[in-house]
Amino acid sequence: MSGDEARRKRLLQVASAAVFLAIVAVAVLIVLESGGSGGDTNLEDAGAITGQLEGIPQKGLELGRPEAKVTLVEFGDLQCPVCKGFSEEIVPEVIDSKVRSGEARIEFRNYTIISQESIPAGAAAIAAGRQGRGWDYLELFYRNQGVEASGYVTDEFMTAIARGAGVPDIARWNRDRKSAAILGEVEAQTAEAEKLGLTGTPSFAVEGPATSGLETLGTPSSAGAIEEAIEAAQGRG
Amino acid sequence: MRAIATFVASFGVGVAIYIAIADSGDGSPVCLAGGNGCETVANSSYSHLLGVDVAIFGIVGYLLLLAAALLRGDTARMAGFGVSLAGFGFSVYLTYIELFKIEAVCQWCVLSAVLMTVLFGVNAVRMVGYAGRPA
Repeated sequence: MSGDEARRKRLLQVASAAVFLAIVAVAVLIVLESGGSGGDTNLEDAGAITGQLEGIPQKGLELGRPEAKVTLVEFGDLQCPVCKGFSEEIVPEVIDSKVRSGEARIEFRNYTIISQESIPAGAAAIAAGRQGRGWDYLELFYRNQGVEASGYVTDEFMTAIARGAGVPDIARWNRDRKSAAILGEVEAQTAEAEKLGLTGTPSFAVEGPATSGLETLGTPSSAGAIEEAIEAAQGRG
Repeated sequence: MRAIATFVASFGVGVAIYIAIADSGDGSPVCLAGGNGCETVANSSYSHLLGVDVAIFGIVGYLLLLAAALLRGDTARMAGFGVSLAGFGFSVYLTYIELFKIEAVCQWCVLSAVLMTVLFGVNAVRMVGYAGRPA
């Protein structure tokens, strides 16, 4: 074998080893990524949420057309696992059947009962709402929720959620979420929930032409029960 | 082979620079066929690695591939093959992230992945066909 041939053989062996290593590296990376456990900054489902909310107007933490006759209010805690379940299983059905059609709009209000971390989480949602991304923030937070009161609600986590939710001005969002006005708003919403006699999250309330003010529904067992309450509030029940 | 690699790598530098500029600040690349896949991808936490925009890694990778394409000899062949292999592997990983984690596809990222695949193919042929032979 000539010197050139030996050198060629050696180079091809090195190249083959590099290909093998690259395959292993990519496989390891994909396996590591596929084991997402929530509460981290590698966000799950951002695309699915964009699709779910697409075309529906948002203002603050209100989702739906401003002229809708019925308002459904959800009192929730972003750290609450039952709220996460509602956000994934029940609320999307109500959004599709009643909010998208313009019959009702849905408004999220904070009822911070899990731990102190729920307060900055809720304030961050309100701050995202000021830039038209409140519901994207709420839904994305729930989809990536960690274990309650485990300390996962860090600035880094909330910033990743805000970025994933498409909040356009992160610097402004950072200022807003720490402002006394927004933190006060979270407190006021929790105080309102207590005043209404709510005992847990999520709790729902509805207001429409056929109700006398905001009427509490407690925690309905299904999307159908919420839809019936909306129809009753419209005067069609 | 070197001429093809030079052309594709130059194109790749342009695409990566566009993505990096569009993604800087609060913007995101514009999807040519509409939709908001690029916005979703650019806003995801995966768009940065160790605090650095992934597109910056792309610019560096394409520049190295351009240099490897312009130079002769086994060192350049091996460098081109190694960098394009790493770029191709990284593109496979990023495409997986787009499809299964972010659940949104950005056309500019797809274009970059296609360019990197072509560069890997060209550099692999250059390596296998000419390694050990005179420059």
